[in-house]
Amino acid sequence: MPQQPGSDVPELTPVVDPTSPHPPSQRVDARLSRRRRASARPPGASRWRAQSNHPAIWTPWLYMLPGLALFAIFFVWPAAQAMQLAFYKYNGISAPVMIGTENFERMFNDPRFSEALVNSFLFLAGMIPLAVAVPLLLAVLVNQKIPGIQAFRLAIVMPVVVSMVAVAVTWKYVLDAQGILSWIVTSVGIADEPTAWLLSSDWALPCLIIIEGWKSMGIYMMIYLAGLQAIPADLYEAAQIDGAGIRHRLMKITVPLMIPYVAVTSTMAMLDAMQVFTSVYVMTRGGPQDSTMTLGYYVWSKAFEDYEFGYANAIALVLWAIMIILAVVNYQITKERR
Amino acid sequence: MTVGTRRRRASTLAGNYVLLLILAAIFVGPFIVLLASSLKPATQDVFSFPPDLIPRPPVADWFVRAWTVIDFPRYLLNSAIYVGVMVPAYLAISALTAYPLARMRFPFRTVIFFLFLSTMFLPGELMLIPRFLVISELGLADTYAGVMLPGLLSAIGIFLLRQTFAGVPQELDDAARIDGCKEWGVFWHVMLPAAKPALAVLAIFGFISVWNSFIWPLVVLKDTSKYPIALGISYLTGVTGTDVRSLAAGTVISLIPVLVFFIIMQRHILEGMKGAVKG
Repeated sequence: MPQQPGSDVPELTPVVDPTSPHPPSQRVDARLSRRRRASARPPGASRWRAQSNHPAIWTPWLYMLPGLALFAIFFVWPAAQAMQLAFYKYNGISAPVMIGTENFERMFNDPRFSEALVNSFLFLAGMIPLAVAVPLLLAVLVNQKIPGIQAFRLAIVMPVVVSMVAVAVTWKYVLDAQGILSWIVTSVGIADEPTAWLLSSDWALPCLIIIEGWKSMGIYMMIYLAGLQAIPADLYEAAQIDGAGIRHRLMKITVPLMIPYVAVTSTMAMLDAMQVFTSVYVMTRGGPQDSTMTLGYYVWSKAFEDYEFGYANAIALVLWAIMIILAVVNYQITKERR
Repeated sequence: MTVGTRRRRASTLAGNYVLLLILAAIFVGPFIVLLASSLKPATQDVFSFPPDLIPRPPVADWFVRAWTVIDFPRYLLNSAIYVGVMVPAYLAISALTAYPLARMRFPFRTVIFFLFLSTMFLPGELMLIPRFLVISELGLADTYAGVMLPGLLSAIGIFLLRQTFAGVPQELDDAARIDGCKEWGVFWHVMLPAAKPALAVLAIFGFISVWNSFIWPLVVLKDTSKYPIALGISYLTGVTGTDVRSLAAGTVISLIPVLVFFIIMQRHILEGMKGAVKG
């Protein structure tokens, strides 16, 4: 560790650049004025200054070289390709053929595309409460200082760290026609006979939504928990003295202060819900009868099963536009509430 | 405090624990069903009404079968390679990129920072096809490098480290320079140690996401011997067919490394998350 410059060596204090990203601390200000009083400029100070704030012109670029190279190769180049390819017909083997906006027109007449679009929005509508509201309640619940709470937190976060494939396999045992869920609903009397949940076109999509929600709730809970722990405890104490009940404290203190965190979780949940792929791939392959065909899965299946790269790319672009719009709308809504 | 409120407190606490136990059952329960299914002998039904979660007696047969029916050690080794190469490389590239963005003044600095941040708005789903075409063009399809390279840059890593580096007191920076450190010395001896908590969080999430990576390797790889463990499990579902016990056993094996890692590392996570959302 390099030694801290003490106050006994004022001649070594830094030249603070007002445009630098680090706001000068009070201490530096004080030392600066002391330094201004001492008119003699320390030897070597100008050299040091040149080195600190104005490194050799190529130094920053050298540091950023790997990052910039990856950025160019795996972001800029593919993004440019994505824009271009959407206007081509391309099967990955023969040369791409320019077809103008045909790919986009085709979407309007593609019943599977509209099915996928509807399913994706259903997925989104189902995921938002699971990812935004429920985790907040979970976070409030596990934010109590009671013995063993850490174990409960871990339990809720456990599905987050497990791969979606493993989660999907795990849930197949619960959702089997002879599995636990069937047993619960038949013994409680909700249903008369066991259901093969994932083979039912009514139930497959809700099941996937619940599984995706179940898997991701832990991460959203952690985000809220970080936020809750930043709320000063005396706010609650004051409210309690004023006679506010638990519900009142939740609605008047916790929820308003959590709005910035809601902005984060809702954005994450939206982007994830619109792109959902792995759970569909492993559990239902879009079936039965396209009832779980989401945009994310449709893009993959058009590209890597049907080798229609151009069309798949056009759909991906539409998906991207939808996601940008959702993110902007969400930002506006949460900004107003702030 | 009156007896009434004390009793109410106690019953609220009990109610809380009941609620927490139900929640724990919901979140951990499916894994227990999986574990039970993997340990049940052939003579015991995997599915039954009412459910029977106690294997009588527990057997290891299905673990042995899952281990041999697909090349399990290979997939575990592959995932270890992906994690072992990608996580350090990802940390190094993020730190190297973030450092000038936080501490040096040069033309276009802000523009470049925002360019990196904008990659957050290029979702994997959109980049999947064009990236696959880029990888093919570079001759990296079906290679380890093809799987790894695109995952080494992430906006969140650069963002988090830039915020951390920017918060390092200028005095530390100056002191190192006075001690004769050049730019690299400042980066290595001042910035990296100061960013340890942020690096730890990035490493943890990097480990988890690489270990669980699925869609990109699925697109890039044809050769099953390069599969990471998550693809191996997907492959196992096809191979085992109706042998649900072996599938459960294989899935249990795949969960162990990441769960052990997570339980060891979990205390760092909440700390890091606080910084991430605030920053």
